[in-house]
Amino acid sequence: MLPEAIELLVLTAAALALAIALAPAAASRRALLARGSVGLAGTAAVAAVPTFDLALLALLAIGIVQAAIAGRRSLAVRLRAPVIAVGLLALAALFARVQGPEVVHRLAAVGLAAGLAAAVGLLPYLHVFDPEELVSASPVAWLAYVGPVVAAVVVADAQGILGVDAGGAFGAILIGLGLVNIAWGSVAAWWTENGAAAWRYTFVADWGLALSGFGIALPDGKRAALLVLFTVVLCRLPLYIASRDSVRERVLTERPVNLIVAAALAGSAPFAGFAARVLLLRAATQLYWPLALVLAAGMLLWLPASLRLGRSLGVPSRRQAIGVAVVLALNVAVGLYPLPLLAAAGL
Amino acid sequence: MEIVGAFTAWLGASLVLLADGRRGLAAGMALATLGLAAACLSAQGPFAAAVIFAGGAVAAVRRTTVGGPGWAIMPPGSTPRLVTCVAGGLLALWIGLAVTTGDGGALRFAAMAAIGLAGARVLWSDDPAVVLTAVAVMALGIAAATSLALDSPGVWPFAVAGVVAAGTAVIQSRSPRAA
Repeated sequence: MLPEAIELLVLTAAALALAIALAPAAASRRALLARGSVGLAGTAAVAAVPTFDLALLALLAIGIVQAAIAGRRSLAVRLRAPVIAVGLLALAALFARVQGPEVVHRLAAVGLAAGLAAAVGLLPYLHVFDPEELVSASPVAWLAYVGPVVAAVVVADAQGILGVDAGGAFGAILIGLGLVNIAWGSVAAWWTENGAAAWRYTFVADWGLALSGFGIALPDGKRAALLVLFTVVLCRLPLYIASRDSVRERVLTERPVNLIVAAALAGSAPFAGFAARVLLLRAATQLYWPLALVLAAGMLLWLPASLRLGRSLGVPSRRQAIGVAVVLALNVAVGLYPLPLLAAAGL
Repeated sequence: MEIVGAFTAWLGASLVLLADGRRGLAAGMALATLGLAAACLSAQGPFAAAVIFAGGAVAAVRRTTVGGPGWAIMPPGSTPRLVTCVAGGLLALWIGLAVTTGDGGALRFAAMAAIGLAGARVLWSDDPAVVLTAVAVMALGIAAATSLALDSPGVWPFAVAGVVAAGTAVIQSRSPRAA
């Protein structure tokens, strides 16, 4: 199993524990634990199986199980995205394996990138989102729970099955998709009227950074991608779950905790998002310095949306306050000293 | 055998794309299963083919009892789906036999047709029975595509695909409800 995938699995398990702690009182923690455990087992299967095809079948099984959970969207709508993702990835794997002209292998690169975007729920394939839906049945489960491990597996396997030229095309497509998702996610999170939708778009923007990091095939790019995924799993997801009630009730508060949470969500120092952004800019500079300029401009777009989301958290109390404190402490620790996290992933 | 199997798989996947009724879907599932199992027989041996057949057979039999009534093959308004079946088949045939080279042309065609047409079906329908049938065809198509790998994939992809295909038969669709 990939060390990166193992680490992301551990982070996902920690996110599940935090989600249970932070879940609003109205939510059933037992149901969340059961569904989260099934999702974690499926995600572990995606990472643990020895071949790409088995990983795709495991991903398909996760999609079927998630679609079977009662939710506000129909089974067909929820199943559509994972099935399209698996189909694209399977066709891409087929194209990568066959003998033929180089264009077929480049098509494989396109299919892998498009399939990854569809699996996670990014542009050009944003999943249909219902703000009132359970988190476990919603697209956020793909963005922040299953998606990180799937991305690590797809990117690692793509490097194995694609040749040098097609691998370069794959990286370029990931960077392009990353920039589009950064721009779309951060601007949409700013403009949308619905608070839950704003949270969802910031996940998309974060994923834009991660895709850019994966696309820049340099060690610093991979490190940045891992740190961004850390912030998705252990910062944005728990805080999103903590804010569900106050978002629904349209509560806006401007206490110090809201400002600190906004800073963590925006990726400012000393939180983990800041280290990720520094590494990403360094990698982009090494690859092609104008890319770093574009990324830096995109990173500024996080600020308005993060201030909005920080205020939408409300004032956490009791169990939620402890959970938010743990999330912030973890993010400060990783932001100040990310080396153990990166070393554990072999980066 | 392999060529007949590949065209049968395309026919089955096309039937799944064209049918709205449970009998039509079951017939498409059965044909796709037979075709993919036959296409895999020479490449992966009888055990892999049998596993694919078993998983697909469970899905097909179950589909005869769950879903829309009757056959409903090519209902009014299905011309775009018919065009997709023909165009998708021709595209898969061209890529599988002319653009790409090497052994296993029929298998390439069968896998591409099954995965592609099943994916198109998922985009085209909101009916759980239809979508789950397409998912089952896609799972079997993915297993068939593993035969194209340089290293032998072993029996596991076929077994897992069979389980996934059979699993779609037991999934119950629940009505959407509030969180």
